[in-house]
Amino acid sequence: MKLFRQLVNWIDVRIGVGELVEKELTGYLLPRNINAWYSLGSILLTAFAIQVVTGILLLVYYVPDADKAFASVTAIMNNVPFGWLVRLLHAVGSNMMVLALLLHMLSVLWMGSYKRPRELNWLSGFILFNLVTGACLTGYLLPWSQLSFWATTVATNSVGAIPVVGGHLVEFLRGGKLVGAPTLGRFFALHVAVIPLIIGALVGAHLFLLQRIGVSSPPFGLDDTTNRWQGDVFRYESHPGGIPFVPNYLLQDLTSIFVYLACFLAVVFFDPYLFFPKEAFSPANPYLTPAHIKPEWYFLPNYQTLKIFPSELLGLAVQGVAMTLLALLPFLDRGGERHPLKRPLFRIGYVGGILLWLGLMVWGHYS
Amino acid sequence: MDNAGRRKFLVTLLAGGGAAAAAAAAWPLYRYLAPAGGGSAAAVVVIPENEVNEGQAKFFQYAGSAAVLVRKRGGELIALSAVCTHLGCIVQWVNEKQEFLCPCHAGLYSAEGAVLSGPPPKPLAPIPFKVAGGTIRVGEVA
Repeated sequence: MKLFRQLVNWIDVRIGVGELVEKELTGYLLPRNINAWYSLGSILLTAFAIQVVTGILLLVYYVPDADKAFASVTAIMNNVPFGWLVRLLHAVGSNMMVLALLLHMLSVLWMGSYKRPRELNWLSGFILFNLVTGACLTGYLLPWSQLSFWATTVATNSVGAIPVVGGHLVEFLRGGKLVGAPTLGRFFALHVAVIPLIIGALVGAHLFLLQRIGVSSPPFGLDDTTNRWQGDVFRYESHPGGIPFVPNYLLQDLTSIFVYLACFLAVVFFDPYLFFPKEAFSPANPYLTPAHIKPEWYFLPNYQTLKIFPSELLGLAVQGVAMTLLALLPFLDRGGERHPLKRPLFRIGYVGGILLWLGLMVWGHYS
Repeated sequence: MDNAGRRKFLVTLLAGGGAAAAAAAAWPLYRYLAPAGGGSAAAVVVIPENEVNEGQAKFFQYAGSAAVLVRKRGGELIALSAVCTHLGCIVQWVNEKQEFLCPCHAGLYSAEGAVLSGPPPKPLAPIPFKVAGGTIRVGEVA
């Protein structure tokens, strides 16, 4: 213990760790009415770290070659000691991460935390959500199973509905006319290098914005719930008399992370194939299209929307408009009120949007 | 229990629990990354006798490493590890001299694996084998 203190002191006199801890951790005050939903960001950082670590471990044995990929994944699952655990942590973890991301976005929406001056936080978070689903989509192809092959065929094919350039874009995405070995190479590079690097950079930007602007106050338990931002000059939103991040909120963060891990590991150990339909267990066969191929649960609403509209272009356009509106929400919703119970129009849109999304998902699943 | 005692107890408990959890996570990680076992007992390599001609050598994989079979002029058969005992390079068979040469640092071995010259500290390790029914069963004791 004495040696540890000496080491801390040695570092402190050189780079001022104590001052940093005081400023960013123990002296970093959060609003007194802060709630557990604010810890979803920490859960997501943990989930992302798990994906990175398990992803690197999978790279040790995975072979990104169309002739060997399925066999290498099968070997990881059956022959490599604890390979099943690493692979399931990665595959189930991606689904859990999307779920946590959705909850994070929904809580930010419900508490009105996306409103000015936090437009850039929302926008960077929204792009992060899209990047994570992009990572999921590209990772889906890598096991080179029937599910991978045909889900990617359907997903890339929908891009073809874009007028004029659609056909060329599909071919560019696939690296050929059909999904094949060149598609695997492209998706592999995107999945293990390009997308994670951009996600890492954007997570940094997201946290930088949070640090610069300050944590928002939840609108609950306050008399005045209007947005007090004046917009004349930059002001850090401090919370005098608030609770310190360390140790108070760190305990909440850790509690939430362990609850998340408990749910995550419950799936991994008790229902490991929850997210694996039977097509995930047979190797890709470009000449045998399986019946009723479905995308992952979070893409089911998109899939069903494409099916509802008579023209694929119209289906894509509707989704494009919906996503653009959601991305630009803080620029469009400029009202001062933040409490959801004082915003009836917002409440209708919020609940209606969730129900529509869930409805499309269930419809897509059973259609 | 006073506050300081309680705090020390909780810190110790937390550190112990953390260490146990870290060990529980490290074990699968170690097993995942550890090389696959060579299976020494089951590693019997069967080579047809006619593949090793008089005065020649045949290199092959044995128990996850490199090995060599030599049939000396006169017909005697020898099985050796092909890994140089100096720095682990793979030796080469010099047909004209009926010797093994390690190209890395010019270690020279006889056909029986004995060190003739150069830096190798030990002879090449012999490997047991059995000849039966026209095949050489490397890894089985005669």
